[in-house]
Amino acid sequence: MASVLALAGLGKDYGDRRAVDAVDLEIEAGTITGLLGPNGAGKTTTISMASGVVTPTRGTALVDGHDVWKQPRLAKRALGLVPQELALYDELTARQNLRYFGRIYGLGGAELASRIDWALGVAGLGDRASESVSQFSGGMKRRLNLAAGVLHKPKLLILDEPTVGVDPQSRNHVFETVKTLRDEGMTVLYTSHYMEEVEMLCDRVAIMDHGKLIAAGTIDELVATHGGKGLDIEIEGDLETARAAAIAAIEGTGATVKTISARRGNLEGVFLSLTGKALRDE
Amino acid sequence: MLGAAIQKDLLLLSRDRRALAMLFVMPVAFILVFGMFFKFGPDKGQRRSISVWHAPGDARGERLVENLKASESFAPIELPTAEAVRASVAKEDSIAGVIVPADFLAGANPVELVLDEGMSLQVRGPLQGSLTGLIVRALLGLPAPSPNEPAMVVVKTPPGIDRPMTNISAFQVTVPGNAVLFGFFIALSVAIGFTEERRSGTWRRSMAAPVSRATLLLAKLVPYSLVGLVQMAFLFGIGALGFGMQIAGSMLGLVLLSIAVVICATSLGLLLASLGRTEKQIGSIGPPVLLVMGMLGGSMFPRLAMPVFMQKVGLAIPHAWALDGYYALLVRPNTTVIDVLPQIGALLGFTVLFAVVGLSRFRFER
Repeated sequence: MASVLALAGLGKDYGDRRAVDAVDLEIEAGTITGLLGPNGAGKTTTISMASGVVTPTRGTALVDGHDVWKQPRLAKRALGLVPQELALYDELTARQNLRYFGRIYGLGGAELASRIDWALGVAGLGDRASESVSQFSGGMKRRLNLAAGVLHKPKLLILDEPTVGVDPQSRNHVFETVKTLRDEGMTVLYTSHYMEEVEMLCDRVAIMDHGKLIAAGTIDELVATHGGKGLDIEIEGDLETARAAAIAAIEGTGATVKTISARRGNLEGVFLSLTGKALRDE
Repeated sequence: MLGAAIQKDLLLLSRDRRALAMLFVMPVAFILVFGMFFKFGPDKGQRRSISVWHAPGDARGERLVENLKASESFAPIELPTAEAVRASVAKEDSIAGVIVPADFLAGANPVELVLDEGMSLQVRGPLQGSLTGLIVRALLGLPAPSPNEPAMVVVKTPPGIDRPMTNISAFQVTVPGNAVLFGFFIALSVAIGFTEERRSGTWRRSMAAPVSRATLLLAKLVPYSLVGLVQMAFLFGIGALGFGMQIAGSMLGLVLLSIAVVICATSLGLLLASLGRTEKQIGSIGPPVLLVMGMLGGSMFPRLAMPVFMQKVGLAIPHAWALDGYYALLVRPNTTVIDVLPQIGALLGFTVLFAVVGLSRFRFER
């Protein structure tokens, strides 16, 4: 498969401080790749260099085969960036925001109008298009932030922490949107702190720390290489009886149970189960 | 891109009441207030009270009272004693007083002009000068000056300078003064506009778009320049239609000078944006800098009334050049575009200077 994003030896220094060392990363078309790392690992600097926002000190970044710094127009047309900040004009309406961002990507006329309607649909904001963004909830702004990044239907979508500070419904909407876009052929680079998000969404994962790419591969590959082994069994019925039976059965095979612990479903699952997945913006 | 940016920034500005008030309402209020402060020429119908004492039957004193009455500026109030004259001035019942001693003798026993010597020179000078003239005429046995008497002194504008129009309204000066002062405040809007884009992340989003950095910069500067032009047109329009300001010289000159002012102010905005990282920093640097520039440049009071050293300092401020140009265009008939080319050139020079320093410090990737 062809690479939509190819980073080769990409690095950035700020004075004497090396923010990103030399990142090599290729992302195949039609996949979602998660970029994980703790705060200060260099994720945002890396995607900023890949999207032409920050000038690299070394290395190259190709988007859809075009060098971001030598052929910026071609490379950037193929790229959509959804910044971590809510990069919107609060005083403008959702439609006015999208119209401006569409126009800077060269869209106009009927095409722009239809893309705006499509993007508003993607964000689930079709009925709030004429409202000022300042009236929106955090979740609505996040979704509009995403819509502004996909308005021109880029080949590569870079999402920088797209679910920070949103309610579970909006987070779920973002997940569903990203998956749909991937299914329609868009390639996604997704940075997040949240492991469960990356595990749920991403086909491949790259992990950064201290400005270096320290691991990359599918989740299975990474777990096989770097993770431990274990079983996660979901019990229906009496937990204590089941636990005793499970230990006896396992030890009957000659294996030793070193630790066993009960796990309950997470709160987000309970919340979504009880409140449903429908968006509620009021 | 430019069209989209212009539309977006105009929409944003139209919803920013604070900025609209600063750019359009405040200057009109200042023009009105300053226009009422300053007055050029005789203050018809608003005579200033001058208390007078002279010995009964003293011919010089009586002539002085007649001269004051004949003037268009003063209204004499005769008081019974010299002490009453001094008390009247001290209590501010009259702006000045004149005591003509019965045994007047130049040098030994002169006429006393009772005046608060703590008055500003700009007020005291003309008052002392005109009263001294009337007193001396009375002492010499001359009546008040009249248009029919043979001229002893005649005022003539030297060749090379057009004669100013007669009956100059204060608004001929306060309209351009405040238009320039508040016109340069667009620099603050420009600088805050940049920091706001950075803070919200829209700058980062725009940087990722297929648009050159030069275009991005222009897309931020051009909309504010257009707003600045609208502001200047509005203020001079209000000046002409609402306050009776007249344009004595070339209309084209006025337009070109205003364009130069706006471009210069926008360029200053780029410089301010390069100096401050946050809106708070810009807010603390910008207004004091712009107010001091306005003061030194003569926006608040004429540079001619300043000490010579300060007048020279003013030449390092674009406001001073702009106001020199406006003064010629508004007050001196026959002023052409050519006459204000030096001022336009100076403003464009400041524009280049601000842009070069601003661009050298401006960080796209901050």
